[in-house]
Amino acid sequence: MILIISTCKEKLSELEFVLPIARIIGKCVLRHHTEVTDRDIASAKKIILTGTALKDFEYLKHDFRWLKNVKIPVLGICAGMQIIAKEFGIKLENKVNIGVKPVQVMEENKLASGTFNAYFLHTKTGTGNFKTLAVSENTSCMIKHPTKEIYGCIFHPEVMNEELLRNFAIR
Amino acid sequence: MNIGVLYSGGKDSTLALMKAKQHHKITCLITVISENKESFMFHTPNIDITQLQAKAMSLPLVSVATKGEKEAELTDLKKAIVEAIKKHKIKGIITGAVKSTYQASRIQQICHELGLWCFNPLWLKNQVELLNEIVSKKINALIGGVFAEPLDKSYLGKKITKTMVEKLAAIASTHHINPAGEGGEIETTVLDAPIFNKKIKIVKHETAYEKNSGVFKILNAKLVNR
Repeated sequence: MILIISTCKEKLSELEFVLPIARIIGKCVLRHHTEVTDRDIASAKKIILTGTALKDFEYLKHDFRWLKNVKIPVLGICAGMQIIAKEFGIKLENKVNIGVKPVQVMEENKLASGTFNAYFLHTKTGTGNFKTLAVSENTSCMIKHPTKEIYGCIFHPEVMNEELLRNFAIR
Repeated sequence: MNIGVLYSGGKDSTLALMKAKQHHKITCLITVISENKESFMFHTPNIDITQLQAKAMSLPLVSVATKGEKEAELTDLKKAIVEAIKKHKIKGIITGAVKSTYQASRIQQICHELGLWCFNPLWLKNQVELLNEIVSKKINALIGGVFAEPLDKSYLGKKITKTMVEKLAAIASTHHINPAGEGGEIETTVLDAPIFNKKIKIVKHETAYEKNSGVFKILNAKLVNR
């Protein structure tokens, strides 16, 4: 079962950033990040960390150290990618990006290929020692841990790139 | 959190308002009245009715007129939101955006510049499910405008009912339209909803239809007991 972890401080934001992903994935378990248990992590086959509202930074104050020990595939979307970056010691830089922008895949991966448009909604991002899988306007927008199946996607694939989420779920 | 609702008077902004009210305090409605019938952001045939809707919900209305020129109307929207911040101490905005990245990204940008939270509780919702929720939540929305084939004048002034939802869903499956009108194919006006203290009664209206588009224009309306 895929575990979808909400990063939203405000419950209302979950209608916008969590439920659309759950609808695309189908059968899944939903948890708020403050309520995730060791059992939830242990019983998950894959994990998705969602995005949240642009004004929300509450998630950056919390502990996600379980990410370092996890052996299953993880996909962090926007805030979720920022959480992954932070846990792996990557410095987050302030960069405002709002709207539809072109994306070009640079390295073959199981989530996406070619060029496509994607919806961006973030004010921070970071790449560090992760591999750049795709770029937008000369900046990394999809990254992967050097050895583990831990992915970060700073744009919101649930808006214009549902296939990316399905690929993560199936492949 | 004090919230202002970007309110067009249609089904989507009314449903978004109802969802937001479960979590936050709604302190005002914000309406942009566009003179431009082609406005990507704000065109609604019966936008004037928002004054009655605000009264029906006992909420103050912050409204601003705009000529509706593409980027200038965003400046006008920003002015209205600034006024709402000053008068009603709002910390966030609610929109009824469902699918339009054009609308959503522009409002997100304004909220970011003004330091406001932005909530889009209908975002990416399946449009037939959305219409069914309008019906199940007892939002009385009539079709105030049609702007795409094969929606003809027979739809104008009709209520969004279960039968109408089935009809729109069937049309959407055979034609290139969004069943809930997210692409501007349909505009609606809400006459009554559970959050209304009074309902709107139409006293006088006129219907105009030409070349695959038409409006059910409310000329005179009043509040009556529900």
